[in-house]
Amino acid sequence: MTNTLIDSPRPVVRSSGASASALVGLEIRKSLSTRSGKSVAVAAAVLAPVVVALISLGGEPLDAVRGPIGALGMVTALVLFPLGVLATAGEWSHRTVQTTFLLVPNRTRVMASKVVGVAVMGAVLAALASALTIAVLMVAPVGDPSWAGVPLAVGVSVLAGAAFAVIGAGTGAALANTPAALTGLYLVILGAMPALRIWKPPVADALDPSNAVLQLATGNGTTGNTLTLVGWVVVTTVVGTVVTRRRSVS
Amino acid sequence: MITVSGLTKKYGDRTVVDQVSFDLEPGTVTGFLGPNGAGKTTTMRMMTSLVAPTAGSAVIDGKLYAELPNPGAVVGTLLDASAVHPGRTGRTHLRLLASAVGVPASRVDEVLGMVGLADAANRRIGGYSLGMRQRLGIAGALLADPPVLVFDEPANGLDPEGIRWMRDLLRAHAARGGTVLLSSHLLGEVEHTVDRLLVIGSGRIVADGPVAALLGGDGTTVRALDAPSLAADLTAAGLPVESTSDGSLVVAGAEPSQVFAVAAAGGHVLTELRPTERGLEDLFFQLTTAA
Repeated sequence: MTNTLIDSPRPVVRSSGASASALVGLEIRKSLSTRSGKSVAVAAAVLAPVVVALISLGGEPLDAVRGPIGALGMVTALVLFPLGVLATAGEWSHRTVQTTFLLVPNRTRVMASKVVGVAVMGAVLAALASALTIAVLMVAPVGDPSWAGVPLAVGVSVLAGAAFAVIGAGTGAALANTPAALTGLYLVILGAMPALRIWKPPVADALDPSNAVLQLATGNGTTGNTLTLVGWVVVTTVVGTVVTRRRSVS
Repeated sequence: MITVSGLTKKYGDRTVVDQVSFDLEPGTVTGFLGPNGAGKTTTMRMMTSLVAPTAGSAVIDGKLYAELPNPGAVVGTLLDASAVHPGRTGRTHLRLLASAVGVPASRVDEVLGMVGLADAANRRIGGYSLGMRQRLGIAGALLADPPVLVFDEPANGLDPEGIRWMRDLLRAHAARGGTVLLSSHLLGEVEHTVDRLLVIGSGRIVADGPVAALLGGDGTTVRALDAPSLAADLTAAGLPVESTSDGSLVVAGAEPSQVFAVAAAGGHVLTELRPTERGLEDLFFQLTTAA
């Protein structure tokens, strides 16, 4: 085997670091090269249309499809949390982050690649889920609903998919622990926020990203809803990046 | 090629690496020895920017590891063979690394063949043995055929054939002008692989030099047909003598010529006369215990 090594001509090696687009592509390939990543992607793409199909079996007519598309866009976004978490915390859990940082020591660059990568995947999967949902609604027995506002609902769903995937990546990077990041995110979004809504509705309105998505998708959104979503993306990404830059790889 | 200067790492009040300095030259295999917790792995991680040093630096061709444009093309690193995603296949894992380091995908099959994993390339890494994971890690380090190899305990999990293969691999790499830093607690393995030893104990370098120089003892070992009589003559000549369990005499601080002169004067028949050599294990424990 050693003779093979000695006799082999040296391979052609890129002298510079990988380009930004190459790193983003690499992060997308990494996410989709594991069973967990593929499962999340498939679930995100098919959950909304399957739910619509099941609901439509009840034969209840719809007044408008904008609401269901927006609501299910939010559900898709919630399913996309793990995509981001796995891209960052998953690397720490499996210690593959060691190889990642050995090959690309600039951790801010790595984090930027992961954020863009999961944002692209989140947007594409949310768009696919929306398209499939619309296709199901077009053939399902839901009466003759209004299709007004569908482009806005789809657009918000796509952005929410990207945003929630990025929030997952930032949270995963900050905690470096997949179960902790997922449990923490779902507890906050699905547990703490509804509880807060009962106690302090204005505060919940200002903090709840899923409510922000719903409001924006149904055309009732405000600047505050947009800021809520942007705030979650910025805060989790910045905290995740700062912690990632400082953490030792042991 | 690699210059490590005053590398220090403290966690609170605890100093795990203390002013470690050494140079690594092309064409050499350097063994990095020390007991568990001595600071070997932390030193290697500081060299590769995985852990930020409290003080000091490590430069490769004058640059910090993190400043190298494409570090994987310069330094092939194996620090933890289990740091791989168990759900990926060996081939997929290496293809991702190949993309990151910038070598053609065809190189993946070449290195899989080199390390003897071609038949297991499409199996999930979760089903690999530790030895197979070590080989996969070595394959990843060799993707760009980099001039520097930094391996932390690469012999772990390898069978005897694998250890011999790895030894030949590292020697061949050095023979081609490569630089190799190899840590191990398998002392016998290191002894036959390296040109030079760095011994670390309690975070400090306690010995640094060629293997022969470090193992060369300060004294003479002698055997005679009448050992007690020779021992008496040596003692009478003012030389300190110790009898060993195998019947030989060790004369500390004496050259073989001095011992021979006493033996010749006394008419002793010698069956062995040589400079005393310390075993690597003796040296290792002597140095690291003192530290």
